[in-house]
Amino acid sequence: MKKSLRISHHPLLGEMDKKVISFTYNGEKLQGLEGEPIAVALLASHIRVLRRHEESGSARGLYCGIGHCMECRVQVQGKGQVRACLTPLQEGMEIQEGSRLPNAITGRVDS
Amino acid sequence: MTTESADVVIIGGGIIGMATAYYLAKLGSDVVVVEKGEIAGGTSSKCDGNILAIDKEPGFDSQMSLESQKLVTQLVAELDEEFEYRAPGSILVCESDEEMEAAQTWVNRQKEAGLPFRMLDRGEIRSEWKHMAGDIHGGLECATDSTVNPVLFTYSLAVTAQRLGARLKTHTWVTGIRLDESGAVAGVETSNGLIRTKHVVNAAGVWSKPIAQMVGIEIPVEPRKGHILVSSRTESIGTRKVMEFSYLMSKFGKERKVDRLTEQYGVALVFEPTASQNFLIGSSREFVGFDMKINVEVIRCIARRAIRFFPVMKDIPVLRSYCGLRPWTPDHLPIVSPVEEVPGFYIAAGHEGDGISLAAITGKVMSECIMGQETTISIEPLHYKRFQKEDGKK
Amino acid sequence: MSEIQQTDLLIVGAGPAGLSAAATISADHDFRVMVIDEFPEPGGRLLGQFHEERDHSWWIGKTVAADLIAQNTLAGVTIQCGVSVYGLELLPDGWKVLTSNGDIHTKYLLLATGAAEVPVPVSGWTLPGVMSIGAAQVMANVHQVKPGEKGFIVGVNVLSLAIARELVVAGIELEGIALPSSDLFATEETTPVAAVELLTRLSDAAPAPWMRWGGKLAQKMKLSRLIASCFPKRGVKVWDLPLQLRTALVSIQGVDQVESVIVADVTSSGEMIEGSQREIEVDFVAIAGGLYPLAELAALAGCPFLYVSELGGNIPIHNERMKTTLPNLYVAGNITGVEGAQVAMAQGRLVAHSISYDAGWFACEEEQKLLDAIDEVKEVRRSAMIQFHPEIDEARKRIYELFDHWT
Repeated sequence: MKKSLRISHHPLLGEMDKKVISFTYNGEKLQGLEGEPIAVALLASHIRVLRRHEESGSARGLYCGIGHCMECRVQVQGKGQVRACLTPLQEGMEIQEGSRLPNAITGRVDS
Repeated sequence: MTTESADVVIIGGGIIGMATAYYLAKLGSDVVVVEKGEIAGGTSSKCDGNILAIDKEPGFDSQMSLESQKLVTQLVAELDEEFEYRAPGSILVCESDEEMEAAQTWVNRQKEAGLPFRMLDRGEIRSEWKHMAGDIHGGLECATDSTVNPVLFTYSLAVTAQRLGARLKTHTWVTGIRLDESGAVAGVETSNGLIRTKHVVNAAGVWSKPIAQMVGIEIPVEPRKGHILVSSRTESIGTRKVMEFSYLMSKFGKERKVDRLTEQYGVALVFEPTASQNFLIGSSREFVGFDMKINVEVIRCIARRAIRFFPVMKDIPVLRSYCGLRPWTPDHLPIVSPVEEVPGFYIAAGHEGDGISLAAITGKVMSECIMGQETTISIEPLHYKRFQKEDGKK
Repeated sequence: MSEIQQTDLLIVGAGPAGLSAAATISADHDFRVMVIDEFPEPGGRLLGQFHEERDHSWWIGKTVAADLIAQNTLAGVTIQCGVSVYGLELLPDGWKVLTSNGDIHTKYLLLATGAAEVPVPVSGWTLPGVMSIGAAQVMANVHQVKPGEKGFIVGVNVLSLAIARELVVAGIELEGIALPSSDLFATEETTPVAAVELLTRLSDAAPAPWMRWGGKLAQKMKLSRLIASCFPKRGVKVWDLPLQLRTALVSIQGVDQVESVIVADVTSSGEMIEGSQREIEVDFVAIAGGLYPLAELAALAGCPFLYVSELGGNIPIHNERMKTTLPNLYVAGNITGVEGAQVAMAQGRLVAHSISYDAGWFACEEEQKLLDAIDEVKEVRRSAMIQFHPEIDEARKRIYELFDHWT
């Protein structure tokens, strides 16, 4: 098991003061801090793949971190598609990576 | 400033100008296209992409579309670049028994005109469109309707015309049209110099009225604004075009049973899936001059209308929206004709929302007309004089 | 959708400029002020910044933000986060702002939307683990999660050096800071010579006296080309950062996420030297393409623009009092040109006085405060640790002149 990427004690910024909560990603149970962006909670657990490109299937992750590039789209149960870099983590959230989709027009079926 | 010459100068680098340039170049004519911005920089890139007969008035109008469809099928093989052509047909859906009756009349008239139309019952709609609202009564289909990427289509015509010798002058605007002593066309004055020519085609779309005024001709072409929404990439909702039947009412300015804003903005469902896993949603129609600002109220109205037919869209994000100006004419037919008073001056404009549909046939007959050949279809009903006669009556 | 909210001043952007403006104006007047931001918490780029001052004390953005937020709370300013703006309409008596949380009607509107990063496409950049350097900063300093154990930074500029240092302080290992390889997207700014010019300009902020002195001398004697060609192939340590001016990133490798980078040696003008390619194992890559003013909302409002490279991009035309050419619409902070947070804060205070003056409160008193605030911005810019560009004052003057033409 890899050690968490959380900076437990920052020499200038100190500690994070947030509640630990549970959520799932692709069905896997994980823990994160309440209110931190989904992408941050996943990164802390070494999860960088947030999405498979809808057409090519290539892996995508967080890029700009400010909600502009739209690369970090994930599916949240009850909320639909959201930007993982801006959406705060909540207790019990069920998150799925954005998935590759078949293309009914070009006829590509693999997903 | 330079002076050059050409057999034909086409004003406007949109779909109509490029189709005309292509067909003329193919006939061996020496063509120059003068465009004030970029190729497909105006209406041709702010629209959706269809070659439709389903929404054309039965008779001359729909037969012209059918001819255009046949030409586009040939263009797939003739042009140098691919343009996402498909011919899956298209459908109109009805909200009431009343609309179903009107649809039946529409189908009967189209069939009489020789077009491949048929009615679809509730069951057929349900089996093809799993996400369509359950209360849709049925609809109708035109089997030959096709779809293209309008920007790629315009560019494909442009590059092929270029290969055949056409010259494209972008970021060049027309400042005047020079006539000789007899009143015939002698040249086109542009921001980059004079082009001597005996033939000018006004294919300037929503800007065709001021171009015609340069030779003292009045044509009733007005900009009509339309908004379109683009969804994000999503699971397929359907693979072909669907419109609501009352789109026809909106198009032809007839009364509809809809709320005030839907009526005011001329909003009617148009759904068009693309090869990029997203879909376009229209439509609206407004006369607001050359104002190109997105009106959020219209966007909301279009979205509401789309969700009424496809409730699933409530949860699909909109990527962006855009609007374009369609060159409207009072009788919903384009002007494709020579101008007898000014020998050498031609008009190919005023297609409103049918520019992509009718570009191929327009370009073809315009080239034939200029080269003195017999035209593929009669262009008498498209003559600009029909509006002058109307004025006379008043 | 909630009902229409009403306010006197709406500020879009809860960063250094927006929060400073809100704190200044509300401290002076009984006036409804609302600040909105798309990010879940207020503070903007202040949240992730810290740097060492000349006296070796640390300037910590998070603390500065907390102070500003406390002042605003005390003054009754409403701060709403997680709110996106998607439309602006001019009304006869102000602006209608369309947001993800409903419409807001405001008399005065201040756009303090800051800046965004210029993306630099390099081979492999869509792999998870490749992010903008600003994102790496937010991960490490705002959320205190390392972007990875071991990283590589592409791009040598003010932002990349400042953030690289922050990452090292946070305990993240950096394998190198290098230029992107010359390709379609490369500009003059991505050559080793340009990078040296930048470094000599930054020499005021250099940690050792000999470096400050050396930098100034190099600038004066125009030695950049010489230094670039003598720069050691394996790089030098600047602030403990492995700066490699003679190395360029060729590509980023990995299957589902970053596993390594391929780098190569380059000449002083940026051409790659054949056969010098080598692979370095890393688990994240931060791309630093520099900043540009985030001005979409000004465009949506209908502001005219001027492209000013010294200020980072297209700037909405405004005057020295931060007024745009449109009624009741103001700008402050990086939307008016890329500079540091302290300048943005001074601009926030200035725009607050400008709005107070236009609102007609104590006009004679405000006029003097406004003129002082204009001087303060210039003073803060002069004494800033990091100069983003040497010709900022001249560039700003060009915009102000254009404003006079427009009005």
